Amino acid sequence: MFGEEELVKIHKERATILSYIITAAFGLILSRLWYLQVYRGETLHNYSIQNRLRKEVVWAPRGLIYSRDDQLLVDNIPRFDAILTPQFLIDAEKTLGKLSKILNTDVSSIKQILKKNSNQAKYRPIIVKKNISFGELAQIETQNAELPGVSVDTFISREYTDKEIGAHLLGYISEISQVQLPKLRQRDKMDYRLGDFIGQFGIEEQLDRYLRGENGHEFVEVDARGRRKRYINTDNLFKGIEDEKPLSGMNVKLTIDRDMQLAAFNSLEGKVGGVIAIAIDSGEVLTMVSRPSFDPSQFSRGLTPEYWRSLVGNKEHPLRDRNIQEHFSPGSTFKAITGIAAFEKGEIDENTEVNCGGSFRLGRKVYHCWKKEGHGPTNLVKAIRESCNVYFQKAANRMDIDDLSYYAKHFGMGSRTGISLPREVSGLIPSKEWKKKRYGQEWQAGETLSCAIGQSYVLASTIQMAISYAAIANGGKIYRPYVVKDIYDTDGELIKTFTPELLSEIKLKNPKTLKYVREGLFQVVNNPKGTAFARRGQGILMAGKTGTSQVKSASADKVYQKCELMDYESRHHGLFVGFAPYDNPKIAAAAIVEHGCHGSSAATPVVEAVITQYMKKYHPEIYLQNLEKDKSIRDSWVKSLRAAAQPVTAPAPDSSDE
Amino acid sequence: MNQAILQFLKRFDFSFIGSMSAIFLVGVLNLYSATHSQSHEGLDSLYKSQIGWYLISLFTAIGISFLNPKTFERFAYFGYLTTLFLVLLVLLMGKVGMGAQRWLILGPIRMQPSEFMKMGLVLALARYFTKVYPERQLGFKDLIIPAIITAIPAVMVIVQPDLGTGMLLVFIFCLMIFYKRLKWKTIVSLGVIGLVSGVLMYNFGLREYQKKRIHTFIDPYEDAKGSGYNAIQSEIAIGSGRLFGKGFKNSSQASLNYLPENHTDFVFAIFNEEHGFFGSVFLVILYLVFFMRMIWLATSVQRFFDSVLIIGIMSIFFWHAFINMAMVSGLLPIVGIPLPLMSYGGSSMLTFGVGVGIATSISNSRNFFN
Repeated sequence: MFGEEELVKIHKERATILSYIITAAFGLILSRLWYLQVYRGETLHNYSIQNRLRKEVVWAPRGLIYSRDDQLLVDNIPRFDAILTPQFLIDAEKTLGKLSKILNTDVSSIKQILKKNSNQAKYRPIIVKKNISFGELAQIETQNAELPGVSVDTFISREYTDKEIGAHLLGYISEISQVQLPKLRQRDKMDYRLGDFIGQFGIEEQLDRYLRGENGHEFVEVDARGRRKRYINTDNLFKGIEDEKPLSGMNVKLTIDRDMQLAAFNSLEGKVGGVIAIAIDSGEVLTMVSRPSFDPSQFSRGLTPEYWRSLVGNKEHPLRDRNIQEHFSPGSTFKAITGIAAFEKGEIDENTEVNCGGSFRLGRKVYHCWKKEGHGPTNLVKAIRESCNVYFQKAANRMDIDDLSYYAKHFGMGSRTGISLPREVSGLIPSKEWKKKRYGQEWQAGETLSCAIGQSYVLASTIQMAISYAAIANGGKIYRPYVVKDIYDTDGELIKTFTPELLSEIKLKNPKTLKYVREGLFQVVNNPKGTAFARRGQGILMAGKTGTSQVKSASADKVYQKCELMDYESRHHGLFVGFAPYDNPKIAAAAIVEHGCHGSSAATPVVEAVITQYMKKYHPEIYLQNLEKDKSIRDSWVKSLRAAAQPVTAPAPDSSDE
Repeated sequence: MNQAILQFLKRFDFSFIGSMSAIFLVGVLNLYSATHSQSHEGLDSLYKSQIGWYLISLFTAIGISFLNPKTFERFAYFGYLTTLFLVLLVLLMGKVGMGAQRWLILGPIRMQPSEFMKMGLVLALARYFTKVYPERQLGFKDLIIPAIITAIPAVMVIVQPDLGTGMLLVFIFCLMIFYKRLKWKTIVSLGVIGLVSGVLMYNFGLREYQKKRIHTFIDPYEDAKGSGYNAIQSEIAIGSGRLFGKGFKNSSQASLNYLPENHTDFVFAIFNEEHGFFGSVFLVILYLVFFMRMIWLATSVQRFFDSVLIIGIMSIFFWHAFINMAMVSGLLPIVGIPLPLMSYGGSSMLTFGVGVGIATSISNSRNFFN
């Protein structure tokens, strides 16, 4: 056996060898450094000074977006920025003077831009002017030699063909900000970089991973004066360093029709509101427009502070989507649901008559009908047609709120429809349990009466109203609304296609329920006494319901005040929800016009315009037939009027609903 | 009393802590220079946290230097198992960074257990070699158990995947068995086996990006996807420093931001660009002094365990320094191995502190008990 010290001693030889090995290893490093720094030092030094190989991102072209009728809605268009790299500025005064002349600005404003960016590294280019014209581009390029440090950056701008039309649906892209970066990286598990573009709203946001593609890179050589050139393979040094081509994003085809969008947008001219239309047998969204709107192209170009201020400072909130991101009291449009619930529960049938004397008293509270003198004896069809509050409140008084919410929920309200667009609101259908949880209070019978006419706690969005009326038209089927039809790759190969998805179907016990509710809805539009008769349109054979959504709860004496006389802010929202054609339903649509006072005058024409455009374009033969049917309907009521031998005119539109 | 303190200070071996501080000083200045222009990415304050890590490591080193060296032997296997457990933990629940799981998050602290694993391995091997026939020259059979001790953590680190650190564990093992008098005959046959298995490993065991690095190394100019770019830019940086360098804070390659990691793996290139060949000679000498002092210590201790342990610790830092410098200057493929005390990184610095503490403790015991 060895002692500890001998053990150390016998290993001394190896330790010595180790010290030689280590010395030799570092000797090797130093000789390599000698080779690089002394033997090739001059060459490499020149490279570092004169030739700067820079790896630059080549942006992937973002996928295009088409409408269902194959029209290009979103395109990529190249634009140019004038940029300046301070590091390469030689004679600042002279260069800036020349540049300011070309760009039509003054030197001091360019200097201001430089000053604002003076804390960043000098090799980083600064954008002097965004989106320069072709003329400016040509001048900068031709005077390149006299403009050291100035160059032009190409940039693919996202352009939206119809600008403001459907902006909320299509959305926009913009640069990822410093604040967003960590959150987005976390959310998508993607290695985003500062300045990458990403969809921030609407389809652009929802389908970002399909649309974005994959960026490539290229190597550019930049000379000492900041002029960029493609590298030329003069030396082995850069041999084989290759670019990577970007991968284009996928193209998307929507369920949206461009002509209907246009019709919807025009019909909302001068109004604040939104309209949405869906196909009854599939849930395809055909139209989705909200006004006021914004120009999404501005976002990808880099918003100017003025434009941003004009959006944010606008009281009408152009950035807000009125169809899926907002909800409101559905007002009388909700009465169809109340009618269905009461009918199904057996509380009313088609013959049940209620005498409307203009008000209904429950306990100490009086509930007014919109018609001061009352509707007189009223059955279900008449109640819907003339939007009688008292009828539905009496019917609701026999029911429980939970019965009402059962049917409302099965007709698509009170929860998100599941449309694949960001930030959908859920609306609200109250129940006893909900109130207990929310307010810790018991449900009051009077609240049921308010809910029955779509007020109090009840909230819905236009998309929810549209699918619930679609369900009334199709027998209780709720489809998930969707806006994307197909996704194609750049070779036109179909990658993904979306099909209708039946979410739920309510089987009504009484086959007469929908029959009489539909009849009521039909008369709203096609009977002279109907609240929307004056705005019925032609050739569409529409059924529907008007409504007003009270912005401020009115006291008794104010109920009858003329809406137009109130402050703009206090005026009611006008609503209309309908489907068409009545005898062969294809399309359902809902519109809201904020502070529009009446459903009939404000919102009905919007829905009518959209549906007319749809019928003309997709069902021209039915449209022609319905024109005939319209004629016979008109003849028959003219005849009946003559028979009554009374000179009756059609009710004035502005006073014809609650 | 004062006399005792004076006595203590006289016998306290400051050479390791001094050496560490000298290299750190160069390192932190270089780090500051490499990152000062990158305020937009938030890198410009890295040097401050590097200083913080240095202070922590310094106190760790001083703390450990007061331990009795016998403690290290007693807790050798325990240390090995603890670090092994941490590496396992990372595998199971580590945070994904740069596509690999290397980090373990404990409250505000992010640590990289594979760094500590190196120390654990060295402790275990030293302990094993001391207990089992310490006087014998090693043959094949004697390598089986130490090889298993090495392979378990190495495999676990490689599947993280962190090939660089995994290979490093194997290299450390190699240096230690060499010191433990591996027979020359065995060395030759091991070399042959290594070559063959290397070829096999390349063909079947490597991930695409790892293969790409080797390709890039063999011919950086032939790389199809442009990953030879880093290697070339690194060479330009080094070469452009020439004899005297461009001067402090004057690296143009660093400001071109060609390397995403010029504050970690590529600091040596920046150092070369700014301080030239003479600067590098100075830096290399600093490292050499440290390593030679370690080897000297290994041959002058009384206990064999201490001797093997010191060689092991020395080999950790030697491999780090050598591989990093070689890869940055284009002698080896680019793998993620930091340069001790120069690259930014807390775990790596702390490991260095622990190593220096152990060395000082062992050196002091020599003085105190003689």
